[in-house]
Amino acid sequence: MKNYLGLAIRRKWHYAYMFIAPIIVLFGIFRIYPAVQTLLFSFFSINIVSKEYKPVGLKNFLLLLEDNTFLRSIENTLIYTVYIVMLSAFLGMVLASLFNSKFAFKKVFRAVYFVPFITSTVAAAVVWSYLYDPKFGLFNMLLRLVGLPTRGWIASSHDALASIIIFSIWKTLGYNMVIFIAGLQGIPDAFYEAAIIDGAGPLAKFFRITVPLLSPTIVFIVIYNTIVALKVFDQVFVLTAGGPADASTVVVLQIYKQAFENYRFGYASAMAFVLFVFVILITIAQYRVSRKWEVQI
Amino acid sequence: MGSPDLAALPLQPWKLFSKLLFYAVIALFGILMVMPFYWMIVTSFQAPQNVVSFPPKWWPQPPVLDHFRDALAQAPFLLYYRNSTVVAAIEVTCCLVIGLFAGYAFAVYRFPLQGFFFILILATLMVPIQVTSVSLYILMARLKWIDTYLGILAPNFASAFAVFLTRQSIKSVPFDLIDAARIDGAGEIRIVATIIAPLVKSTLATIALILFIDSWNDFLWPVIIINSEWLRTIPVGIAFFKDPYHISFGPLMAATSITTVPMIVIYVFIQKFIIKGIATTGIKL
Repeated sequence: MKNYLGLAIRRKWHYAYMFIAPIIVLFGIFRIYPAVQTLLFSFFSINIVSKEYKPVGLKNFLLLLEDNTFLRSIENTLIYTVYIVMLSAFLGMVLASLFNSKFAFKKVFRAVYFVPFITSTVAAAVVWSYLYDPKFGLFNMLLRLVGLPTRGWIASSHDALASIIIFSIWKTLGYNMVIFIAGLQGIPDAFYEAAIIDGAGPLAKFFRITVPLLSPTIVFIVIYNTIVALKVFDQVFVLTAGGPADASTVVVLQIYKQAFENYRFGYASAMAFVLFVFVILITIAQYRVSRKWEVQI
Repeated sequence: MGSPDLAALPLQPWKLFSKLLFYAVIALFGILMVMPFYWMIVTSFQAPQNVVSFPPKWWPQPPVLDHFRDALAQAPFLLYYRNSTVVAAIEVTCCLVIGLFAGYAFAVYRFPLQGFFFILILATLMVPIQVTSVSLYILMARLKWIDTYLGILAPNFASAFAVFLTRQSIKSVPFDLIDAARIDGAGEIRIVATIIAPLVKSTLATIALILFIDSWNDFLWPVIIINSEWLRTIPVGIAFFKDPYHISFGPLMAATSITTVPMIVIYVFIQKFIIKGIATTGIKL
């Protein structure tokens, strides 16, 4: 490649800067500047109407520690993340190994499994809010049909978070499955053929060939699902709005409510800062682990 | 392709059983995946008194259009469609053009601070809109962009993901082609537009598709920045159609059908391309 990079290319600096200028300027204004502002604003008390910015030191962060709703939202977000990563990734892998063989209507089923993922989260959650309705929803009707006790689903503080988790697994399962199928197809048949000659059973093949060779995909899926789960908002907003009584609230919903319902912009910035720390920690973990596994995306 | 070819196996009794079990599992999950959409469509055609009947009516008898009439009277869906289309079209176009030129610069040129700028662009992926929304809103207020198209578009004029993927793709283009074009007297902008763009068109199509789906389904930023009903995109419109104090499921399901069924129909025709694009890039931001 180096042969082609003659002086003619090196001299075209002004073109290089001209071509990257739009994205650098746009990102500078609309992404990097607000990111720095978030960090800064978390040490201020802000009144957006009178445009007053009063420095309050660490007060916002100290208030966060005593804000039970916020602590609840962190707990819920972490519970949500753990369940999504474990169940959606695990089911995705199981389904992908089923799909990694030839069978009739395979492409049709794959397309069907993927439908929830491409549908808008908001629209899908609106449909599920109907399915989950304690009185007229399909889930309770089905439970009644088979004679089982009905549940409160999104209307009950006990079931609300679980209901959101079930919805999100339904929504993301197809994506995880498709990524796992792509990973499985990258494993050469020769490994399995050699294993069969050596007398390996299906379980030995799964744990000694599939899992180790699929590790890069597993790492990618876990990291990707974790970051998406930490940012969960749409389905919570639609299904429960964080209720009943904050039972299913999550971090981004708290940021939204504090900033755009209570107009506490400094306080919401402090929450955003906490979320940012979580995302950065996961990203650093991703960088470390993916270098180890040489993840290719 | 590791597992044996199930279809080719002779049917001994236990193999028949395992094959049945296999199909049962696949079909069960398939039913779980489409059941919500099926119920949405059935309910939207159901006669009003049948929506709340027990046991549930699995098929609308006879199908009626009452709920669609109610839904259309309650909200301007055509306007929501127009807003979502305008926003998605502008976002996809800007991201593609900006991404193509920036990707070309990073793939072909060597210039001071190249690595720094590239890392800077990728680093923005670590700071999602969920983190920056509060201060971005304050910036929008200062620019007087709240409740405007510009405000909705502001964070999405450019995409780091588009730059990254076009750069990868352009790197595999032989540099001879670029040199030959230069000798023929083509300017750099013309080279990108007429030589590079056609060569990486499948990458550009994948990027366009993923960006379109993202923009179409985007909710958090639009719901923050939009106040007026006439600016609402589809997700914002449908979220506010759901009135928590007066839920009428028939019109609500008709409204979600109006906003999702056209997209699902398009998906049916291009699903192979969508799934392949997402499986190979692995990314949906």
